[in-house]
Amino acid sequence: MTAAEAARAALAAADCEAEAVAHAERSGLVRFAGSEVHQPTLIDNLEVTLRVVDDRRVGVATTNRVDADGLAAVAARARAAAANAPVDPDFPGLAEPAPVPEVEGLDERTAGLGPDDQARLASEAIAAADLPVYGFFTSAVSELAVASSTGVDVSQRATDAVALVVAADETGSGYAEATAWQADEIDPGAVAREAAEKANRTRNAEAVEPGSYAAVLEPYALAELLQYFAFDSLGGLGLLEERSYLSGRIGTTVFDEQITLSDDPLNPNGLPRAFDFEGVPKRRVELVSSGVARGVVWDRATANRSRNGVQTTGHAPPAGEGELGPMATALSLTGGDAESTDELAERIGDGLYITRLHYLGVVDPREGVVTGTTRDGTFLVRDGKIAGPLVNLRFTVSVPEVLRDVHGLTRDVSLVNASQFYGPRYVYGARVPALATSRFHITGIGGAPGI
Amino acid sequence: MRDLCATAVDAAVTAGATYVDARAVIVRHQSVTTKNGRVDGLTDSESEGIGVRVLVGGAWGFACDRRLDAEGARAAAVRAYEFARATGTVSRRALAPVEAQTATYRTPLERDPFEVSIADKVAHCLLADDALKGADVVLRQAMVRARREHKVFLSSDGVEVEQELIECGGGIDCAAARDGVFQLRSFPSAHVGSSEQGGWEVVERLGLAREAPRVAEQAAALLRAPVCPERVTTLVVDGDQAALQVHESVGHPTELDRIYGTEASYAGTSFLKPGDLGSLRYGSEQMNVTADPTTAGGLGTFAFDDEGVPARRQPVVERGVLTGFLTSRETAARIGTGAGGSMRAESWNRMPLVRMTNLHLEPDEGSLDDLLADVDDGVYMETNKSWSIDDKRLNFQFGTQIAWEIKKGKLGRMLRDATYTGITPEFWGRLDAVAGRDAWRLYGLTNCGKGQPGQGAHVSHGAVPARFRDVHVGVSA
Repeated sequence: MTAAEAARAALAAADCEAEAVAHAERSGLVRFAGSEVHQPTLIDNLEVTLRVVDDRRVGVATTNRVDADGLAAVAARARAAAANAPVDPDFPGLAEPAPVPEVEGLDERTAGLGPDDQARLASEAIAAADLPVYGFFTSAVSELAVASSTGVDVSQRATDAVALVVAADETGSGYAEATAWQADEIDPGAVAREAAEKANRTRNAEAVEPGSYAAVLEPYALAELLQYFAFDSLGGLGLLEERSYLSGRIGTTVFDEQITLSDDPLNPNGLPRAFDFEGVPKRRVELVSSGVARGVVWDRATANRSRNGVQTTGHAPPAGEGELGPMATALSLTGGDAESTDELAERIGDGLYITRLHYLGVVDPREGVVTGTTRDGTFLVRDGKIAGPLVNLRFTVSVPEVLRDVHGLTRDVSLVNASQFYGPRYVYGARVPALATSRFHITGIGGAPGI
Repeated sequence: MRDLCATAVDAAVTAGATYVDARAVIVRHQSVTTKNGRVDGLTDSESEGIGVRVLVGGAWGFACDRRLDAEGARAAAVRAYEFARATGTVSRRALAPVEAQTATYRTPLERDPFEVSIADKVAHCLLADDALKGADVVLRQAMVRARREHKVFLSSDGVEVEQELIECGGGIDCAAARDGVFQLRSFPSAHVGSSEQGGWEVVERLGLAREAPRVAEQAAALLRAPVCPERVTTLVVDGDQAALQVHESVGHPTELDRIYGTEASYAGTSFLKPGDLGSLRYGSEQMNVTADPTTAGGLGTFAFDDEGVPARRQPVVERGVLTGFLTSRETAARIGTGAGGSMRAESWNRMPLVRMTNLHLEPDEGSLDDLLADVDDGVYMETNKSWSIDDKRLNFQFGTQIAWEIKKGKLGRMLRDATYTGITPEFWGRLDAVAGRDAWRLYGLTNCGKGQPGQGAHVSHGAVPARFRDVHVGVSA
């Protein structure tokens, strides 16, 4: 049974005002550590979430039993939930059908990869490095479908593949990752070599004093920083609940004029998605243009509650998983004029070079303050050159301050995976360049690189 | 479900697997959330399937199937076997021995939370939600949740276990905002409240509506409070923050799979080495930490873990010395001590990993007031707000929702945006007082992440207020 068939069958089982969202996943993830496979996981699942509406009372139920009995049961539970809910005066009704854009994102060769292929591609990463490697290769084909009593009937099959490698021994560690919807775009061996090359440059790391530094952030680091900023600041709910940095700042200059940020789910170089979890068409949303805040992403519920005329931008989260509201899950930061990260290092003169970040936490959502540590490739920049390795550093930064005084961005933009594959496989990522900032606040010293 | 597991084990053994375990799982989860007087979420989800893990020579394989029938069981077993063969592994993998046995277990409870009507759950939330009203309040939120996991485990080593684990919990959050300042207060914990294994009585004991006015008042008061200044001083943390401190800086680093590097590509490794067991000084003499999957009400409570090892209490840190690791059968065999017992999988479609169960900071004596009384000048922090720790679990930084100055043994001015930072063994070495049994509470976390693909785990920590000297507080951007 396809997700589209399951969605329609669930809608039929509900036989009332309702919306069915079905998601199918067939994935394989070959995880390795110390250059040996230790957690190989094959997942095959199909689940349906049914949202039933009874005079603006809303109930939601989910199941992965998609036979007739299972769908009848989930319909009964959704109806019972709705019947027990009070009327929601803010409920905007179910989405009306609308044409969804044609997008790329499905590669049949990737969809056809089986466990043998996934194991082979993981082994290519393992074989390529001259250091022990830790990471995974994964690929999947998934399908999202939405059907509703208002006439929505959309579905999209999509593929994704990720190779991620930490190359490490007792005294060094490096990181690299590649993400695409076409597995042929990914060379796991090259990913492993990049990680190992980086690791071999991190030995005999030294510490620096806490303080404010200029810094070059590789795309891995910048993407994660932006993602954490986006949780509270780039969605409609964050704006309504006043935890967004953009609260009261839409239309004002918030970042350096070199910063143009959008959510771009249709971009064929990202992980293209045609519609959201209500079946509403996705579109590119301008968030920050030349440093000026332009807006955030919305779903129908938050747009309705805003009462200021904004419309959904096609960013409804899965029903029941909307605690943070609509999310910008296809962030795209426009590149600059620097030819390389080396050129960015030249521009900052003295400072830090940061490959990736680890375990970020939002300290103050309203001010966009995030803490975390650097990892797997932190270096000193001296006299415009990437110099010696540094130990892992704790940072506590205001993301807006990081983006406020920018020395430059690379012309090249990379797709960085942002999924950790919790729950259903809703894969997303950010397309970002490397960036050089004048301000990155180091607040502590961590351990040396190495396993 | 037992027969399906047997079918899967037979199929994999017949194919040539040297070890097999199968878990058939049915999970149901229900949650109600209200926001500002309206129902924000009302969900009732179920998921079921069978997961099969095999060893073929030295290679692990795992596959799952959502169909709880013989065809699904056989398909998962065959795919797991074929995946193991495809991945190949050069190392031999020994497993610590386990006794063949058959057992059943069910969470003791007074009132099945799934027998409580949704209408009553909505009413419970709305009552607390309404009680959060107050000046400058921009967000009122109340939540209750319940989860039931029915699972059957069967292995080729002769273990057959049927367990039904039921948990329940809730919480309230209140945000206030004014003049560009945003502050959040929660009860009993942030990050979707707190849960325990048990029935609806767990939610009723929380007293969400009773606590709501205080929570709202504090959220508003924080808007006018000064920011916690940066300095090195004496820090007292409440049980909630102590629980997360234990979680991040004791629980994760003592997971033996991390120590062996198998989590390096995601959550990280550990500053500990296998040879540190029995000798490494983790903290002061006041530091005693115990792993106990038999704790009544713990979210990590079970009779058997997800590879069929019976639950048992074990010390992890005794009088400040590292004396235990959290282990699987494989890591226990590798280190040559222990029996495993900490393997847990999120559900039927994930491979079990070494996870915390219930990890407790053992009480000593006295009350929070007693801890404060011995502080001439310091800071008291309450309720976790933010957390971060490096990949070796050494350098951490935590923030709390609220704090107060401590002056001459008493709480003084309220402070906002309080943070503290430290290095794990140095920080625990500065522990000089732990409150007593009367202050001990169980804190249930439902958002512990690990693994690739990612898995969430539900764990509990018994904890008490604790006092640390010479701590760097007030870290800011």
